[in-house]
Amino acid sequence: MSSATEHHDPNCLVTGNPTFESITESVSCIPESRTPLAWKIMFSISASLALGLFCLIGYLFWEGVGVWGLNNPVGWGWAIVNFVFWVGIGHAGTLISAILFLLRQRWRTAINRFAEGMTIFAVICALIFPTIHVGRAWVIHWTLPIPNQMGVWPNFRSPLLWDSFAVGTYFICSFLFWYVGLIPDLATLRDRAKTRIRKIIYGLFSLGWRGGNRQWRHYELTYLILAGISTPLVLSVHSIVSTDFATAQVPGWHTTIFPPYFVAGAIFSGFAMVMTLSLIARKVFNLTHIITKKVLERMNMIMLLTGMMVGYAYSMEFFIAWYSGNIYEQFAFVNRAFGPYAWAYWIMISCNVLVPQIFWFKKLRNHLVVMFIASIFINIGMWFERFVIVVTLARDFLPAAWDYYSPTWHDIGLLIGSFGLFFTLFLLFMRFLPIVAMSEVKGILPQADPHKSGEHHG
Amino acid sequence: MQIDLKTYRLTDPGKLGMIALVVGILGLLVSILGFTSDRTQFFYSYLVAFVFWTSIGLGGLFFTMLHHLADAKWSMVLRRISESVMSTLPLMGLFAIPLLFGIHDLYHSSHADVMATDELLKAKEPFLNQAFFIIRTVGYFVIWSLLTFFLFRNSVKQDSVHSDKLTAQWRRVSAPGMILFAVTSTFAAFDWLMSLDPHWYSTIYGVYMFTGGFLAAISFIILSASYQRRQGILKEEITIEHYHDLGKLLFGFLVFWAYMAFSQYFLIWYANIPEETVWFLDRWENAWKSLSLLMIFGHFAFPFLALLTRGAKRSVVWLSVMSCWILFMRWVDIYWLAMPTLHEHGPQFSWIDLSTMCGIGGIFIWYCWRKYTSHPVLPVNDPGLKESLEFVNN
Repeated sequence: MSSATEHHDPNCLVTGNPTFESITESVSCIPESRTPLAWKIMFSISASLALGLFCLIGYLFWEGVGVWGLNNPVGWGWAIVNFVFWVGIGHAGTLISAILFLLRQRWRTAINRFAEGMTIFAVICALIFPTIHVGRAWVIHWTLPIPNQMGVWPNFRSPLLWDSFAVGTYFICSFLFWYVGLIPDLATLRDRAKTRIRKIIYGLFSLGWRGGNRQWRHYELTYLILAGISTPLVLSVHSIVSTDFATAQVPGWHTTIFPPYFVAGAIFSGFAMVMTLSLIARKVFNLTHIITKKVLERMNMIMLLTGMMVGYAYSMEFFIAWYSGNIYEQFAFVNRAFGPYAWAYWIMISCNVLVPQIFWFKKLRNHLVVMFIASIFINIGMWFERFVIVVTLARDFLPAAWDYYSPTWHDIGLLIGSFGLFFTLFLLFMRFLPIVAMSEVKGILPQADPHKSGEHHG
Repeated sequence: MQIDLKTYRLTDPGKLGMIALVVGILGLLVSILGFTSDRTQFFYSYLVAFVFWTSIGLGGLFFTMLHHLADAKWSMVLRRISESVMSTLPLMGLFAIPLLFGIHDLYHSSHADVMATDELLKAKEPFLNQAFFIIRTVGYFVIWSLLTFFLFRNSVKQDSVHSDKLTAQWRRVSAPGMILFAVTSTFAAFDWLMSLDPHWYSTIYGVYMFTGGFLAAISFIILSASYQRRQGILKEEITIEHYHDLGKLLFGFLVFWAYMAFSQYFLIWYANIPEETVWFLDRWENAWKSLSLLMIFGHFAFPFLALLTRGAKRSVVWLSVMSCWILFMRWVDIYWLAMPTLHEHGPQFSWIDLSTMCGIGGIFIWYCWRKYTSHPVLPVNDPGLKESLEFVNN
């Protein structure tokens, strides 16, 4: 982590010539200051929506999944769309914290804490949907291989079971990674705490961190190992999610490019969400000198790249559907593009492939308003990608069974409610924890580089 | 072999080029004998060798463009190597010409009688026809050659002029270059290999081929660097730290290759649709099984374990041994992809396999080495060079 030998010009990463102290000050003051009114307003809105989510789930348990708009060919509907959407969002966090760390991309320090937090909250939202979709959520533990007197085991051949392992592992690893990263910063908050209760709570969670040399050594090794463990997870989790579809024999679902295509899409959507959140946070909490335009620009470049990977996958699917000579495969894709859901398909193409193309222009990828709007569009587009995959199933092999899937008020409510839950958790995180990895940002300051010591700051 | 440390030019490029040229010419002459004795075998062997070396050239192009786009500094000392590797692509374009005369021997779908009776292939005719095949192959090499010409010329220009414009220029070319690369290398993989079995299809095939090619190119770059190291060239410049990073890249793409291969196999196995599984059955239900198993253990399990540790990646000798092994496995991979169409019951290795590999490979290495030695072996004027020379892993 503390790389003294890399010779990036750190000034391009952090602006305004901050000192160690000013970094601590500008990050720590967020959880220490009085609760801003804007936070209270936002929290009450999102917490009400989250409450709505739980009420809707209660109603669902009472009534059954019949309250959704499912019909016979479309057996999965919005629940799986939302599940894949939320799991995907999480991936950017892991990419930023693990893969960019291993690739020595030091600009990630400005956004990694945040992105990791987002990962955890997104995975929480994601896990709700398969849980309620099983219909009998009170026996959800049957998806785990727990020995029981009936000798009943989950079906290990089912991709849906792999999901619970993959996403469960992902949640645990991401959480550990996030928490390990938080320890030195929690200790900073503990040392700055003015009330006894804050001191106890932050003290408890900082696990006796003293910032000694040996502690840092162990910490950095742990962090590296966790990054190594998390790296394959970035790829494996969404690959497993893609097998939910791709192991089936359904035209439009069964195609070999699905695993890498889903991973690229996940990272794409996740970056869009990190972008949306960090643009708001840097403005509200005055972190423009830490989350600099340089950082935002690089995120836009990654979105351009991953957006194009998704575009590559769309075109490969289309080409091979034609090339296969299989009429069902061909119909599935023609139906997507020109059938009753053509509107959704073209929303997907416009948002995911066309919108990121604006990032070819340096002016536009440095323009805050433009990138904010683009990130929202990409979020919408990536939700529609999953919608298109799931819902165009409404026209399957039997024309007699063809139907048009429409969501009910309950479906829509669950989606909105999941956003409520996500933002509730995120706002709590912003209020009580350091939202920027202070210790890591300090590592990229010029004065952290021993080769430059004596030049300035000392 | 000697180097002038002021200009970083090789004053004596050594015998490598000559040896490679002789091997190449001999290989090609022997291959001509092969052509006269067994025409079909010759074209298949030639195709395997041609795809093998082209994919290394393409890997070099990808490495160079990635280096420019990511504004990477650590790999600056390797840039000239990767540039020389990519500059073989126009040469490979010449090697594609004999292939065009073998379309009938190689591609089932080029036979009019087959196309007339096979409904499925008839539907694919707009794509699978000879004229379009030739146009596409020419098109790929035109695009690749233009990219390599431009990137190489600009890179060499930097040795004599100090200009920031050049850096901006090759970044501007590399970005759309990547898109062109993705499209052309995918369709080249479809054309040259996948359409050997014209009924079969897989959307991941292009990415699979790219990954294997990049893996081979990294191995090739490691071997070029370590060869020079043994000759006492660039010992201080390409340090253990650079090998360590190359080792990480090799390891990473090894796993990525396995991920692609597994995705393709697993989804087809699981869905068990006959028109897709037939391709794997051809490689499993007969003597090809041994090569399929070799792919699992030799192309993934063994090198995975062998490159896992830090020590392995920091040992130049071990890394070179593994690079040779991975290049060999790359050849096995392409052989495994192409040959079951010809030898349905099991691999039948032929001396023509060896002669075509040596023939094209010798000329490839000779040309690559010639390109490399006719310019300074480091981008001496690049502002990022200093950082690359001082680069340390930690």
